[in-house]
Amino acid sequence: MTGIYKSFDENQVLRGVDFSVERGEVHALLGENGAGKSTLLNILAGVLPADGGRIVFDGKHYPHPSIPQMEKAGVAFVHQELNVINDLTVSENIFFNHELTYPLGFLRQREMIKASHALFERLGVDLDPTLKVAELKTSQKQLLEICRALHAEAQLMILDEPTTALGNDEVDHLFAIVDKLRSEGNSFIFVSHKMPEVFTISDSYTVFRNGELISSGPVADTTPFAVTRDMVGEKYADLDVYEPRPLGEPVLELDRLSSTAFTDVSFTLRRGEIIALTGLAGSGASELMQAIFGAFPIESGEVRVEGRPVTGSIQRFMRRSVGMLPGNRKENSVVPDATVLENCYLAEHSLSAHRQWINKAKETTKYEGHKQALNIKAQDAHGAITSLSGGNQQKLFLARWLNTDAEILLLDNPTQGVDVGAKEEIYGLILKLATAGKTIVINTLEIPEIQKVSDRCIVLYAGAVVATLEHNQINEHDVMLYSTNAINAVKGE
Amino acid sequence: MADKKNRSVWGAVASMWHNHSYIFVFLLILVVYAVTIQMNGRTFTPGHVSSILSSQNTVIVGTMAIGMALVIITGQIDLSIGSALVLTTGVTVIVFNATANIFLTVGAALATGLLLGTINGVLVAYARIPPFIVTLGTMLIYRSLALWAVREIPPDVSGSSSSQFAMVPGSGAYDWLRMQFGTGSLVIAGFSIPFVSILFAACVVLFVFIAHNTKYGKAVFAVGSNAKAARLSGVNTQRIQASVFMVTGLLVGVASIIQASKVGNITPASSGRAYEMYAIAAVVLGGIAMAGGRGNMLGVLFGVLSYATIDFIIVSIPALSADIQDTFQGLVLILVILVQTAGPAVRDRFQQWRRHLRPEPSVKEAEPVSAG
Repeated sequence: MTGIYKSFDENQVLRGVDFSVERGEVHALLGENGAGKSTLLNILAGVLPADGGRIVFDGKHYPHPSIPQMEKAGVAFVHQELNVINDLTVSENIFFNHELTYPLGFLRQREMIKASHALFERLGVDLDPTLKVAELKTSQKQLLEICRALHAEAQLMILDEPTTALGNDEVDHLFAIVDKLRSEGNSFIFVSHKMPEVFTISDSYTVFRNGELISSGPVADTTPFAVTRDMVGEKYADLDVYEPRPLGEPVLELDRLSSTAFTDVSFTLRRGEIIALTGLAGSGASELMQAIFGAFPIESGEVRVEGRPVTGSIQRFMRRSVGMLPGNRKENSVVPDATVLENCYLAEHSLSAHRQWINKAKETTKYEGHKQALNIKAQDAHGAITSLSGGNQQKLFLARWLNTDAEILLLDNPTQGVDVGAKEEIYGLILKLATAGKTIVINTLEIPEIQKVSDRCIVLYAGAVVATLEHNQINEHDVMLYSTNAINAVKGE
Repeated sequence: MADKKNRSVWGAVASMWHNHSYIFVFLLILVVYAVTIQMNGRTFTPGHVSSILSSQNTVIVGTMAIGMALVIITGQIDLSIGSALVLTTGVTVIVFNATANIFLTVGAALATGLLLGTINGVLVAYARIPPFIVTLGTMLIYRSLALWAVREIPPDVSGSSSSQFAMVPGSGAYDWLRMQFGTGSLVIAGFSIPFVSILFAACVVLFVFIAHNTKYGKAVFAVGSNAKAARLSGVNTQRIQASVFMVTGLLVGVASIIQASKVGNITPASSGRAYEMYAIAAVVLGGIAMAGGRGNMLGVLFGVLSYATIDFIIVSIPALSADIQDTFQGLVLILVILVQTAGPAVRDRFQQWRRHLRPEPSVKEAEPVSAG
């Protein structure tokens, strides 16, 4: 692929990048979220059209690749969220849309099962072709997708973060199969955020940043440190908004908190403090935040607010003045059929349900106050929430919690899907709230964001705290080193 | 100037049509009714409207449709209300015949309705069985219990030797409930309004208020619009989901009081058949989205009235038999929803067509440029 351009509306995602994979190699494609990796791969697989550039596969030029065309050419995309059909059997999945049939369309089940067996044997995969896919483990589904791709005679397989849902043994098994296929001449594009894995399996690497090619070459010639530096680039965070504040008494304590997603997490937050949780997908940071809000079940340990333990439902946490701005705004925050005002008051209403009467005048006045304070651009309090931009919606949902007088605010990806200007505004608001005595936990993947607002940063990897950095220790390079566990990849050498 | 004024009037009508189209639908159907009456050589009088207001389809189905609307707003469905009405009225009649006490009768009606609704609600919200399945099951159960009971219970309690529950006359309570309340009317300035219609109207007013002016009402809409967001804002979504079935049960209790006092009996084998479907249709005609989260409770009133009026239209045409009623009701339902869903698409086409016609002057302006 040479000189690939792509933009969505005003937003340039790929600025003339080159990318090539040799036959029989595993090529790691690296970059932060939003670097343009997925866009490039989607273009390669024919899902998205490119705005400019040349795509050559196996010596043949594809000016307008489509999904069936690229599939036929031998490109297979194994998505992070698996595309297997749970209600069919393993062999039915493998032959899906390419079924072997008798003339009248009846299926030649036995032959398909036999062929599946042969395929699995060749790959050293232990799968029963007659099992329902729903009964398989995630790792087996992953292998099934790879097998299906191979059966369709794929030459190049795109593995998009294939190991996030796998245990260590399963990762080893997957890598063994990748190894075997590589020796048979198949190629792989491997997308992962986990440095140890990248350095175990890949032959070569390419790093993207902000839609541009930063570096590329054999893995043997580089180090996890160098790759991490390429990924994050020069520090571009301006730190002018942050100011150290005096902190109050401890208000939120986590005591050896464990669940299915994280283990043994302890920390203490003082009034007015801003702490950032960070970690890549599967690190447990988001689940940890939900657990502090009663939205994710805790297996052991304790959450204490102002010295007293809190357990149970979301309502209980809300009554102890905890509020959470959930991630994925559209799915978890927006009530699309309700007005701006109704959306603003949803949480307050559930706390004050003992007084059912709604005082519309009083609510409107209070809403106008929040609107002023948070600079929410909304025309009409009784207009549709969906008419607000992402940034204004997010500010409104912040107001939803300020409305409940929450003292501890948990913000999950608060600037997700928010434009740059509104982001800066939200950072300013977070700092202002902390100065006013609110205690704030942010879960984010954006390291500049952490640098801008947080007093401390807790890095999680695979459900465990791997580092706690003070404000002046926070920099992109170190946070990335810890969250990809690159630090251990180096130690291991 | 005139054009501008014209447009703003049209704008007001258009926004009315958009937000309260159910009123237009009802008025249109009412006009059709008036026309059919006139064409059959009679005059359309307030008495005709009064009989629509007091018909069983208005007061009994309508009362239950209010509950159905709440259930549908949360994104669920209740198929059991027709059967629940039969069973609840059975209990109501038995209690009345045994005690001849109005307070106990009313209490029994509300308690039975609430119990049946609670069974639905608990199974749906806490046992997490889909509402369609739960209420399909209870639809079968409630009616069959009533069928079984009417045969097993001695005639002096059930009030009838045949296969129905009937109120036994002779007591003062009977006179009051059946004669005064059930079939009586309040006469204001020559226009008589049946008491049962007033009871129905009171329920409508109460629930329009609850749905749009209380925190409970807002939570009901929020759960139907985005249950996940509601839960993460501290709304107890399970409790809300269960509660709407319980409210529906209570309203079934009210409907059974109306059935007992207005009709005086109920036949488990045939009464209340397809009432759940009529209620759903009325709710949909009232502009409440089946997907949940959207609609105005006031729409239910007009949906119910529209449905009841269609019945009267069919009856007023001598050439049509009553058997054809459902055909017309079904057709009107599909037609109205078709207009509502296809309407915006047709409007877009129309606007495109207008835009296509309008740019003529600008084309002329552009011509010299292309010529040059």
